Amino acid sequence: MNFDSDVVIGLEIHVELNTKSKLFCGCATAGSDTPNTRTCPVCLGHPGSKPVINEGAVDRILKLCKALECDVADALVFSRKSYFYPDMSKNFQITQFREPLGRGGTLRLSSDRQVGITRVHLEEDPAALVHPKGLAGSQYVLIDYNRAGNPLAEIVTQPQITSPKQAREFLNALMRILSYIGVFDSHAIIKADANVSIRESGYERVEIKNITGFKEIERALAHEVSRQRQVLRRGDSLVQETRSWDANRKTTAHMRTKETEDDYGYIFEPDLRVVEGMRARAKTINIPELPFQRAKRLVKEYELDAEDAHVMVSEQALADFFEELAERADPILSAQWLRRELLRVLNYADVPVSDSPITVDHLADVLSLLADKTISENTAQRLMELLIEEPFNVKEYVETEGLQQLSASDELKKYCQVAIENNPEAVKDFRSGKQKSLHYLVGQVMRATHGQAEPQKTRELLLKLLG
Amino acid sequence: MEIDDALIHKVAQLARLRLDEEEVSRFGTEFQEVLDAFSVLDEFSVEKDDRITIQPVQEQSLLRTDETAESLSQEQALAYTQDTEDGYIVGPRIRK
Amino acid sequence: MIREHAARVRAGEQSASEYVQRALARCEELDKQHSFFTVITREQAQAQAQHIDKQVRDGDDPGPLAGVLVSVKDNLCVQGVETTACSRILRGYQPQFSATAVQRLVNAGAVIIGKTSMDAFGFGTFNQNVGLGYQTPTNPLDASRVTGGSSGGSAAATQALNEFAHVSLAESTGGSIECPAAYCGVYGHCPTYGLVSRNGLISYANSLDKVGVLACNPADISLVMQVISGPDEQESTSLRASPQAGDVETVGVVSDAIAQAEPAVRDAFASFVKTLESKGYDIVDVELPVTSKYGVAAYYVLAMCEASTNLASLSGLRYGQEQSKKDISFNEYFTRVRSKHFNTESKRRIMLGTFARMAGYRDAYYKKCTQLRTHIIQEYEQAFEKVDILLSPTMPTSAPTVDQVRELSPAQMYAMDRLTVGPNLAGIPHASVPLKLPDGLFAGAMVMGWQLRDEQVLRFTEGCQ
Repeated sequence: MNFDSDVVIGLEIHVELNTKSKLFCGCATAGSDTPNTRTCPVCLGHPGSKPVINEGAVDRILKLCKALECDVADALVFSRKSYFYPDMSKNFQITQFREPLGRGGTLRLSSDRQVGITRVHLEEDPAALVHPKGLAGSQYVLIDYNRAGNPLAEIVTQPQITSPKQAREFLNALMRILSYIGVFDSHAIIKADANVSIRESGYERVEIKNITGFKEIERALAHEVSRQRQVLRRGDSLVQETRSWDANRKTTAHMRTKETEDDYGYIFEPDLRVVEGMRARAKTINIPELPFQRAKRLVKEYELDAEDAHVMVSEQALADFFEELAERADPILSAQWLRRELLRVLNYADVPVSDSPITVDHLADVLSLLADKTISENTAQRLMELLIEEPFNVKEYVETEGLQQLSASDELKKYCQVAIENNPEAVKDFRSGKQKSLHYLVGQVMRATHGQAEPQKTRELLLKLLG
Repeated sequence: MEIDDALIHKVAQLARLRLDEEEVSRFGTEFQEVLDAFSVLDEFSVEKDDRITIQPVQEQSLLRTDETAESLSQEQALAYTQDTEDGYIVGPRIRK
Repeated sequence: MIREHAARVRAGEQSASEYVQRALARCEELDKQHSFFTVITREQAQAQAQHIDKQVRDGDDPGPLAGVLVSVKDNLCVQGVETTACSRILRGYQPQFSATAVQRLVNAGAVIIGKTSMDAFGFGTFNQNVGLGYQTPTNPLDASRVTGGSSGGSAAATQALNEFAHVSLAESTGGSIECPAAYCGVYGHCPTYGLVSRNGLISYANSLDKVGVLACNPADISLVMQVISGPDEQESTSLRASPQAGDVETVGVVSDAIAQAEPAVRDAFASFVKTLESKGYDIVDVELPVTSKYGVAAYYVLAMCEASTNLASLSGLRYGQEQSKKDISFNEYFTRVRSKHFNTESKRRIMLGTFARMAGYRDAYYKKCTQLRTHIIQEYEQAFEKVDILLSPTMPTSAPTVDQVRELSPAQMYAMDRLTVGPNLAGIPHASVPLKLPDGLFAGAMVMGWQLRDEQVLRFTEGCQ
C-alpha cells in the first residue's frame, strides 16, 4: 500500500468484452433489446444445460493480460462463486477464484507513473434487473436475461491510486488500452467497486460497491473521501465496512461490516475442464503498439512535443489519422490542426474520430493549400466547418468558390486603393504619424475581401500606395 | 468437529433453507455422526502441492468458436413461469 | 436380445407399434404394483413406433435400435416430457431439449417408453428418497424389499420387463447404476467418466456423474453404448478419445472389499471367482488401502459440495415450482420455495455440502478431498499396471427390506456405498454382473477396468455369462 499518500484507492473494474456470442453459450451478446430474446437453456440456467467456453473471450482476456504486462497462468481454471440473488440464473457465478489468468501486471499512466495490476480474470455477467417503481418503491423486480452470460473482464488494481482524479486518469488509460487492443466496445458499460482509505484514519479500508459508469466512479470516490474526513472531523472513527453507491442520491450507504462478509463457498467449476496451454496461446496472440509506447514513438519519429503526442494517442483512430496525415503534411502542423481544428469540429458535431467525415485526403489538401499560402488560416478553418457538414473535394472547391488568398494580385491592389479612397481621415492620421491607422486600413481590406487577403501582403501594398 | 445449533442455523441460512426446531435437532445429531465418520480424513495428510483433481479423466479441452447460435424465442424463454410482465420474468425484490 | 428384435423390426417382421402397445400395457400394469415410472410416455412412444413402421414400409432404415424400448431415468431431459429428477421442486418442468444420449437413442430408432423413478436428484442408495409426492418403487423380485438406488426405477423396470427388448438409460454418481442392478438382478454398466455426454443430465455432482445403461444382458449394453458414446460439442467434459478393447489375462480381486461383504454375498462372489479361475484367468489379490479407508468420505464431501451448488439454481424462478406472490424480499422468497419443496435428504445434502465448502472448513473438507481423489485415482492406475480387470462384490448385501433401510442413520446409509464409490471417484468403467443367491435374491459382482477400457470390461462381462 502506498502510505505516502493522503488518499489510497484500489479499484476492481468490470468491463464487457466484445465477443459475438456469450461466454458459455452461443447466444448473441448484442442485438435485439426486447427482453429475454437472447437466451437459451445455458444462460437461463435450465436443468441439464452445460457450459462450453468461448475461445473468443479467452483470446480477448489474454490480449488484455499481455497489454497490462501480467504474468499469464498456464491453466485456465474456473470456479463457482455461490450467492443467491434475483439476477443470477444459477445462483452461482462461473468466475475465476484463486487462479486468475493474469497476475502482477502494470498499467502505465505516463512514462513515469504507473499503477500495479493485482489480477485480471474472466467471468460471466448476471442478468439485468428492472425495478418498475424504482429501487425503493418496487414490490418485485423484472428480470431480463439477455445480458446474462456475457463475458466480463475483471481487473483489480493495487491500492496505488492517490486521488479520485487519478482514478479517473487510470480509467481513461485503461479504456484506451481496451479499445486499442480491440477487446471492448466504446459504448460498453463499465462498472467498478473501490476500496478507499485516508491517512487520518490510519488507512481504515472502506469498500464501495456497485458504481456504474465512468463519471460516477470519480464522483463516488470524491464523495467517499470527503465523507471519511467528515466522520473523523466530527470525532467519530471509521470502521472497516462495505458501502454501496447510490447514483441517484449521490451518496454511499452502509451495506455490511466485515464480520458479515458473504461466504461464497467457492468450488472448482466441475462442468468445465481445466484448459492448459494458456501461455503458449498468449504467445501466438499479437497486441498492437499501446498508447504510451506510441506516444513515445511519435515524439521520437515526428518530433512532436509530449503534450501533442499524448493527445494524438488518446484515441487509436486519431493516432492513425495523424500518422497517415504526417506522411503528406508537416507533422507538427498536422498534430496542431488535428488537435485544434479536427477535434473542435468533430466535438461540435458530436462525431467520433473513427466516423469522421473529414478524411486524411481532406486535411492533407487543406494543409498543403495553407502551407503554400493559397488560402488563409481563416479560410482553412471555415473549410473544416463546411467539410464536417458535407464532404467535398477541397482543391476544386477552393478554385470554384474563389477562396484563394489575395496576395500580389492586381485585385488586392484594387481593394487597397478603394480602402484609401474611402478613408481619407485614416490616411490623414497615418501621414501625421499614427501607425495605428495602418492597422485600421488593413482591417478594412480584410473585411472587404472576407478574410482572403493575406495580411502581410496587404500591409506592404498599403505602405507602397501611401508612399 | 462439534456441531451446535448455531452452526446448523448458519449453514441453513447460507443454503436458504428454513428449518423447524425438530429439523435443527435432527440434523444436528445426524451431522455429528456423519462428520465423525468423515473425521477419518484427518488421518490422511496431503502435501501442500498435491495435485487437485477436478476432472477424473484427463484430456485437453476444446474451446468453442466465437459464433452465435439460435436463441430461444421470448415465448419459449418465458414458457415455464406464470409470472411475467412485458416480456420480463418477475422475481422477488432486492430490498427487505 | 435387442439386436435381434431391432433386426426383426427393420426387416418388417415385427410391427414396432404392436410391440410398443403390448409393452405399454405391461408397463402400466407393473407401475400400479411397483411405481417404477414417474411418467409413462404413451402418446410419444406410440407416435415414435408408428414413425418407425412407416420408415420400414417406405424402405428407410430406422436405425440399429429400431423399435427397442428404452426407459429413461428421470434426471435425463426428454424434450417435452416432464423431467424432474424425481423432485417436487421441478414438478412441471418440460425441457426444451433432449439429453444428447436420449437424442442419439431416438435417432437410432429406439422408442422412449417413460421416465423412471429415482432418489430425488440421485440422493440415495435405496431409492427410498423419492421427491415429495412421489411413490417409492418396490423390488420386482420381492415387493417387501428395496430396488436399490438411485436408479431404482430403471433397474426394477429392466428386471420386470425382461421378456421385452428393453434397456434403461440411467446415471451413476457414486454407485447409482451398479447398486440397483445388483439388487434387482440385472446387468449395469457405468462407463468411463466423459465417454457419454452429460448434456441434458440434471447434475447431481458434475465431476462424478456418468450416463450409463441397465439391461438383461451385456451384449445389449454394448450395442447401446456404441450408440450413445462419443464426443459432444455441447458438453465440455465429454471425451474425444474412443473406448478400447483388450485381452484379459490377469484378474485382480479387491481383497479388502470382500471382507466388507455379508456371508451370502461373499460365498456367491467366491464361487464366481472360482468359475473365472476354471476358465483360465490368473487370479491375484489386490489391495486398495487408500480407497477403502477414505473413499466414502472423499466421495460424499465432493458430491455434496457440487450438489449443493447445483441445487442453488432451484429457487422458484424461471421454471419448476414457484409462488405467484413474489412481492417479498428475495432471500425470504428463495427460502420459502426451497424449504417447502425439497425433501429431507436433499436438504441434508445441501446443508452438508454448503458446510464443507464454507470459509474455514473448505480446505479441510472440499480441498483436501480433491487432493485425496488424485491419490485414489493413482491407486487404481497402479493396480491396473498389474492386472487387466479388478473384481469386487458390487454391494456388501443383497436387497434389504424397506424396514431394514428405515433403521439406518444417514451415516450408515452413506457407508453402504463403500464398494462402489472407488470406481466412481476414479472415473473408471465398471459393470455389475448379477449373482443369484440361494434365497432367490441377487448379489452383484463388479467388473472394473482402467479408464477408457469400456470395451474390455463389457467383453469380459459377456464372457462371465
